[in-house]
Amino acid sequence: MMKKIFLVLTLLLNATVFADSDVAVPKDELATETVYPIFDQAKSVRNRNVQTTGRIDVGLFGGLALTEPIANTTKFGIAANYHFNEYHSLGLFYVSNSSGLSKDAEGLKNDFGLDFSRAPQPKSMIMFDYNYKPYYGKMSFTKNGVINTTIYGSTALGVIQYQHKTYPALAVGVGERFYFNKSFSLKTDLRLFVHQAPIPFKSNVLCDGSKVSCGSNGAAGDPIPTYDSFSERITYTTNLEIGVNYLF
Amino acid sequence: MKKNMLKISLILMSLNSVGFAKATKPVAKKTAPITVQKVANPNAGLKVYTKSANSNIRNQIANALTQMKSGQYVQAANNLLALSRRPELSAERTQLKYLLGVAMMELNMNQVASFQFVDVIKSADAKYTRQAIEKLLIVTDKLGDETLLNYAIQRIDVTSVPTQHRDMLFYRMGEIKQKAGLYSEAVQLYSKVGEKSRYHLNALYNMGLSQAEANQTDLALGTFQKLLNSRTAANVTDTNKVAAQMAIARTLYQKKDWEASVDAYSKIPRDHMLWHDSIFERSWAMLRAARFRSALSNFQSLHSSYYDNFYIPETLLLRSIVYLYICKYDEMDKVLTLFDKQYGPVEKSISNFLNTKSSAESYFQELNKTFQIKSNEDAELKTQISYRALRHVADEGDVRRSFSYIRKLLEERRLIDANPQIKSSSIGAYSLKLLVNRTKSAKSSTGDMVKAHLQNMLVELKDLKEQSSLIRYEMINGKKESLKKRLAGKDLGEVQVDDKKDRSFYVENGFEYYPFQGEYWLDEVGNYHYLGKQNCE
Repeated sequence: MMKKIFLVLTLLLNATVFADSDVAVPKDELATETVYPIFDQAKSVRNRNVQTTGRIDVGLFGGLALTEPIANTTKFGIAANYHFNEYHSLGLFYVSNSSGLSKDAEGLKNDFGLDFSRAPQPKSMIMFDYNYKPYYGKMSFTKNGVINTTIYGSTALGVIQYQHKTYPALAVGVGERFYFNKSFSLKTDLRLFVHQAPIPFKSNVLCDGSKVSCGSNGAAGDPIPTYDSFSERITYTTNLEIGVNYLF
Repeated sequence: MKKNMLKISLILMSLNSVGFAKATKPVAKKTAPITVQKVANPNAGLKVYTKSANSNIRNQIANALTQMKSGQYVQAANNLLALSRRPELSAERTQLKYLLGVAMMELNMNQVASFQFVDVIKSADAKYTRQAIEKLLIVTDKLGDETLLNYAIQRIDVTSVPTQHRDMLFYRMGEIKQKAGLYSEAVQLYSKVGEKSRYHLNALYNMGLSQAEANQTDLALGTFQKLLNSRTAANVTDTNKVAAQMAIARTLYQKKDWEASVDAYSKIPRDHMLWHDSIFERSWAMLRAARFRSALSNFQSLHSSYYDNFYIPETLLLRSIVYLYICKYDEMDKVLTLFDKQYGPVEKSISNFLNTKSSAESYFQELNKTFQIKSNEDAELKTQISYRALRHVADEGDVRRSFSYIRKLLEERRLIDANPQIKSSSIGAYSLKLLVNRTKSAKSSTGDMVKAHLQNMLVELKDLKEQSSLIRYEMINGKKESLKKRLAGKDLGEVQVDDKKDRSFYVENGFEYYPFQGEYWLDEVGNYHYLGKQNCE
C-alpha cells in the first residue's frame, strides 16, 4: 500500500512548485484559534531550553535595602542552589552588608550631630533559600533572540549577624531569572526580611558633640553606648537584589 | 485513510454504547399478570407455568415471583438459581432461567444476565426464545460484547422486536453488513434508523462511510454534510460534528479535490483529538496539491516533542519526499536518519516480543501498562514493546471496545464485591465464577487482538523501511545531479537560511516571530511555518 502511494506520488508530482521569492505565509494557514491541542499530558512546554533538574547554579548579586533608614543600604552576596526538578530548588546564600551609614543617617549626622554609627549595624547574613518555580516562559524583544525566564517564590530561613549579636531571620519574596543562554542568567529578587533587631533610635546616646544643639552635654557629646544597651524589636526590611547566575 | 475512517467509526460506536448503557430499561412482558401490586413495575406480569404438584416447589416459585414483583431481585435471583438447578424442574428450567436473566438485568449485572438468555435461546423453547433474544440484544448492546450481540442478531426476527429497540437493531445489523463489505445493504439498514434514535448520528456517519467505501463519494459527501448540519448548534468540539467535518475532508481527498480537502481539514478544531490526524492527512492533501512549503509547516508540528509518543512513521517518509521535491537533500538525510533512529528500535522491540512471547495474556498485560502510562507519563513502568507502538495499538477501535467490555466486566465484579448481600449468596458465588472466566477469556481475546495488530505493524514497518531505502537512493541520486550541475557552473549561489545543517529553523505563528531553538510550546503546536525555499534549479 505504502509503496503504491509513494510511487504514485513520484509519478504525479514530477513538477516542483514552490515559492521562489519571499515566502509569504497564506492567510488561511495563520492561526485562527487560541485553544490548545489535546494531548495525553497537557504539558505547556517540551524540550525546554533551560533544564535545571539535578543541576546546581551559582551566582553573585548585589542588593539594596529599600526600607533601611540608618545602616548602609548596599550589600553583596553569593548564592548556590540545587534544583531538585523544574519546580523546586534549595540553596544557600551569604550576604555581606556594606559598612557605614545610609545617606539619610549621614545627613542626620552632618545636620544634627546624630551619630548612628554608635548603634549596632547588620554585618552579614546566611540563609537557606527554598525556591518554588511555577512559571517558565520566554520572551523576545528584538525578534532576533529568545530569552527564557522563570518566576519563582522564595522562602529563606537563616541568621543575620549584627556587630554584637546574631538573630534568626526569615525572608519571603518573589524573583525572576532571565536566561541569556541555557546556563547564564540575570536574577532579580525582591525579599521581605523579618527578624529581631536593635532599635538604633535611642535618646541621649547618639549626639557626637559636633552640634551644640544636639543633646544635653553640648560639645562634649553623649557617652558612647554599648551595643547591648539598645532595645530590640521585630524589624521588617524590603530588599531588592540583582545578580548573575550560572547553571552547572 | 480508510483505516482512519474506520477508527473514528469505532470511537463513535464506543461512545454510543456508553451512552446507551445509562438509558435502556427492561421491556415489560406481555403475559397476563397473576397478582399486580405496582402498575409501574415492569415485572408485574411475570409468571411461571409449572406442572409440578409439589406444593413446596410451587411455593418457592411463587415466592421468587413475588420477590421479583416487589423489587427484591437479589433474593429472587437466589431462589431462581436454586430452582433452575433442581432436576425435577427441568421442564420449567427455560422459564426460570429467563426470569433469572431478567432479575440480573435489574441488578445491572448484564454479563450474568446474558448467559441466562443464551441458555434460554439454546434450549430452543419457542415460547421464550423470542423474548430472550430481545433481552440478549439489549444486554449485549450495553456490554459491547460483539460476539453475543452477533449471536442474538443472527437469530432475531426484526418484526418481532419491539419498536423502541428496532433502531438499535437496524444499526447493529448495518454494522455487520458494513464489516462484511455489503455496503449497499448496510446503507439501507442505516437509513432505517429513526432520526430520534440515539443511534441516528452514528448511523448517518456509518452510512456515509459505507457510501465512501462503495466509491459513491458524492452521496457520501451529502450524508456527511447532513450529519454536520444536524450538529450546527452543537459545541465546536462535538465529536459527531468534528468527525463529520473530518469525513468530508477525507471524502474530498478521495475525490482528488485536494484544495477543497485542505480547506475542509483546516476546519477541524485544534482542541479535539482528531486534529492530530487532520494535520497529518492535510499534509498529504497539500503534497498532492503541490503545496510543499505548507506541508513542511505541518511536519514541524508533527515532529515536535509533543508527538514523541505518537506512532507516525509515514510522516517522516512523507517529509523526506517533500524535501526531495524541493531538492533539500541534507534535510532529507536528517529526516531519513531520524526515521531509522525512531522506528528502528520500535521494529526491534515488536519483533523481539513477537518472537519470545506467545501467550495472549502477556500481550494483554503489556498493553495494559499503556493505559497506566497514558494517565501518568512519569509512571515508572517499563514496557518491553516501544511505548509509541503500544499507544498506537491501544487506540485501535477493536482494542478500545474490548477494553471497554473488560471494564464493564470488572464493574460487575465490583458491584458484587460492594454488596455483601449478593457476595455471600449463591448467586454471588455463581456470578463471580462466571465473571472471572469471562474476564479471563476477554483478556485472552484482547491479547490475540494486540498480537495481530503488532504483527501488522511489523509488516508495515518493514515495508516503510524498504521505502526509506528507496527514498535514500533518490536522495543520493539527487545529490549527484546537483553536484554535476555545480561542476558545470550552474551553482545556485544564493545562501539560504536553511543551508547549514546547524542552522536554526524559523517559525511564525501569525503573531510573533522567534528564532526556533528546539523548544516546543503547547500553544505553538500547529502554528509553525516553514520559511525555507526550494533548492532546485
